[in-house]
Amino acid sequence: MPVLPWKSSADSRNEIGELALRHLDAAYNLGRWLLGNDADAADAVHDAFVRATGSSGARADGNARAWWLAIVRNCCLARLDAQGRDRRNVALDQVAGEHGREAADAIVPAVDDTADERIEAEQRRALLVRELRRLPAEYREVLVLRDVEDLSYREIADVLQMPIGTVMSRLSRGRAHLVRAMNPAKETTDGL
Amino acid sequence: MDCRHARDVPLYLDGELDAVAVREFERHLDGCDDCRANLDALDTLRRDLRAAAPRVPAPTALREGLAASLRMPRRAAPAWLPLAAAASIAFVAGVATTAAWHVRGGADGALARDLFASHWRALAATSPIDVVSSDRHTVKPWFEGKVAQAPLVRDFAAEGFPLAGGRIDYVGKQRVPVLVYRRGQHLIDVFVLGDAGAVDATTSNGYAIDGVVLGGQAAAIVSDLDTQELARFSALLTAAP
Repeated sequence: MPVLPWKSSADSRNEIGELALRHLDAAYNLGRWLLGNDADAADAVHDAFVRATGSSGARADGNARAWWLAIVRNCCLARLDAQGRDRRNVALDQVAGEHGREAADAIVPAVDDTADERIEAEQRRALLVRELRRLPAEYREVLVLRDVEDLSYREIADVLQMPIGTVMSRLSRGRAHLVRAMNPAKETTDGL
Repeated sequence: MDCRHARDVPLYLDGELDAVAVREFERHLDGCDDCRANLDALDTLRRDLRAAAPRVPAPTALREGLAASLRMPRRAAPAWLPLAAAASIAFVAGVATTAAWHVRGGADGALARDLFASHWRALAATSPIDVVSSDRHTVKPWFEGKVAQAPLVRDFAAEGFPLAGGRIDYVGKQRVPVLVYRRGQHLIDVFVLGDAGAVDATTSNGYAIDGVVLGGQAAAIVSDLDTQELARFSALLTAAP
């Protein structure tokens, strides 16, 4: 991997800072989907910014965005660890368990077959968000990076620091799960 | 699903197939109901996801806070720093001559770095070429409409540098046309910079940049050719047609 030569440390700090600000929306969205709420996402992005601009020496390869998002992700995972990993994944189920189905449906409405089309589209989206939140984090992050943030497989592999093959298989499983969840009657995507 | 193309469906959807594989897959798609249904399902899912999970902009307070922190010094420099700095000047002066191009800094250094970064990114991609053609009459029209000014495209196959195709790439924030040539196993990118600036010759990690003027526009050759070959290619490129 070629290493980019950076200039003085003040210049490099500024450049890293500008890079991070350029991709701040991507960082914030990744944080929201990993942590499940806005406040934690903003805190994690802040941590990542301090860590990135404080780092010294050469480290970025051709894809600086992936390098920055990898730091954001690590800060998110550190936060998840601190608060008990994957608490967010079960939050809605906990609501249902503690306060009954109705309370959970009030937060994220369930799909009602008889609803008219306009409401149905809203509810499909709500259902999809719920399914995405329920997906284990390792599938969720790949789906968000690919389908929402539009990163290439190579970039995702750099962010997650794993082989492209693993990215592809997680993406395929995550998608298959969501397709099944959204189309319970149909057998669409395969092989899983 | 038994179709041997089943695993190409997500690759096609995600733009990870190269141009040849795309054409082959599209031919296959015409006759395969399973793959079409699969592609349709994944495409619907993506559209639903984008509608359901729209990108939320980072809060203004966060953005402004971070930008402000960047303008402030990280921490006060220790009192002994000037002494240490003075002591190391002799050493730095020696290093500076070999590392002159990036110490020179400024816009030029940033541009060179962007060029290397784009070149390396392209080499790492599935296909470093968007339009694969050795025919300049295919490559030049491909650029038209994609960039403000289509570059001058010539083929140097006879001289040992065949045209391989072209792509649009980013140099910093600017989209520029890139002509791709081959020399044996080496790939040569010619970034047609236009208004994006001009660069001087420089090297990094065995890769070299040479600044030239192509059809009246500033351009940069980026490759891992050795110095002599690079000079030959520069001369060919800039010679009058």
